[in-house]
Amino acid sequence: MDSKVTKFDKNMSAVTFAEAGEFETAAEFLQEERTEEEAVSPIAKKKPYAGLVIFGAVSLCGYIALMTHQGWVSNEYTMGGWHAAYPVVTALAFSFIHGAFASNLLSVLGLEAKNH
Amino acid sequence: MKKLLFILLGALLILPMVNSAYAGGPPPKDIMKGVFLNVDNNARTVTFQKDGKKETVELILGADMKPSDVRVNKKVMVSLDKHAGENVIKSIDIMFLDMTIKRIISLLVIGLIGGLLSGFIGSGGAFVLTPAMMSLGVPGAIAVASNMCHKFPKAMVGAYKRYKYGQADIKLGLVMAVTAIIGVQIGIKFQKYILNHFGNAGSNLYVSFIFMVVLVFVGGYVLYDAYKLSKGGEEAKVSKLALRMQKINIPPMMYFKVAKVRISFWVTVPVGIFTGMLAATIAVGGFIGVPGMIYVLGTSAVIASATELIIAFIMGAWGSIQWGLSGLIDIRLTLLILAGSLIGVQLGALGTTYVKDYTIKLVMASTMLIVAVSRGAKIPGYLADLNLRPALEPQLAHTLSQVSYWALVTALGSAALIITVAMVRGMAAAKAEARTEGIVSHG
Repeated sequence: MDSKVTKFDKNMSAVTFAEAGEFETAAEFLQEERTEEEAVSPIAKKKPYAGLVIFGAVSLCGYIALMTHQGWVSNEYTMGGWHAAYPVVTALAFSFIHGAFASNLLSVLGLEAKNH
Repeated sequence: MKKLLFILLGALLILPMVNSAYAGGPPPKDIMKGVFLNVDNNARTVTFQKDGKKETVELILGADMKPSDVRVNKKVMVSLDKHAGENVIKSIDIMFLDMTIKRIISLLVIGLIGGLLSGFIGSGGAFVLTPAMMSLGVPGAIAVASNMCHKFPKAMVGAYKRYKYGQADIKLGLVMAVTAIIGVQIGIKFQKYILNHFGNAGSNLYVSFIFMVVLVFVGGYVLYDAYKLSKGGEEAKVSKLALRMQKINIPPMMYFKVAKVRISFWVTVPVGIFTGMLAATIAVGGFIGVPGMIYVLGTSAVIASATELIIAFIMGAWGSIQWGLSGLIDIRLTLLILAGSLIGVQLGALGTTYVKDYTIKLVMASTMLIVAVSRGAKIPGYLADLNLRPALEPQLAHTLSQVSYWALVTALGSAALIITVAMVRGMAAAKAEARTEGIVSHG
């Protein structure tokens, strides 16, 4: 509520100065307003909490399943021949899921690449 | 030009069917996988059931084996001693270790740091992961296989990230990968020749000696270059050798858009082949690939290290299939390393956007030089094996093997430290810059 009053006040002040012929001062009031808005609404930089939680949960379930079924996994994955597809596909699938989790984790921690 | 690219890709796909190339050396042949059903202590025989087969075979324990070495009902890898006769066991390795908390934490940490290095300089991790896994008690072949299977998804994620930052040249990566695969085959042929003529010790000596020389020479040059750049504060220039190479006009000439290099295909061939040869012996082709792309082809360090990830992905995927076919990948090890390395590789990749070109060179050079120390420490032992010097005293042998192992750990640790410091500084500088820009635009 406060901020709205301030905004309204500022707009009115700008109008007053503009009416009085002091356009530069009026523009200053409005400009200040715009930069403030920019500072408080970085929608583009919203942190991907949902992605972090979802991919993290799926990844964690994967690791738990792997560790609780060690015997079966160790046996089936090392049969050789066409069973070679098992480890290769599993590694790929984990890299997508866990990779997405890791990417979101870094974003949430505020670690982003520098924009050139 | 596109046609040529398709031809190269086609060749890449057909090659494995014609011939089998294995990055990191070929899977061993005289090995059987299966389970011991029972042991006869008096007759020194064991009943063995091979993987996927119902019938059993009788195996005889080798001369220096004890019946107590045999663990019943646990999956094992048995290597046979063909010289001692039919079905004589040479050694037994338990295929799957029990995962203790200590082992899990070690794998996660090594994975994280290895990934960081990989994302930053395009290669790394492999040279320390395999020995580290072996020191945790994993049999050598399983360590190589599991490492290979973790390498390609990691490289894929790293390559994707760095492609998004506009650093990876896909075309250059593909062209280099094709020749690197040929290089892997040449490397293996060479290894086999030496193995046949000089035995195992000769082969070990060859690997350690040649590559210590390569690492010292190339690493030393990269370090010198990085030092010059950091002193002068100027931007990296294309090397004189690369400028001369770019003038060679033998068709097909190729233009690499991201790398901004126009060069004859034939110049890329030796770089790719040496990359493959190094990959076939010490499993880190990037130690030749990255400096090769920088100083011979004329790309920047940031583009070279990103493009190396594409090569690592293709070669790693290839190797994983080969090792998977022989059933030696322990997926638990692979996935535990991946858990850390997928975070590390992305961190390393974004780190490159904050640093200057010479930081990448510095990390690369210091890693190469410390790995060279590790290789060098092994040489006296191999010389003794070949009777070229008196046998090592046990104390000295122990010290040297410790030096070799800890040099690898130091290489990884110091690289991680330089990357972290450079990244934190870069980020702080970027923030300060953004703030100044903000003040200027507001004022």
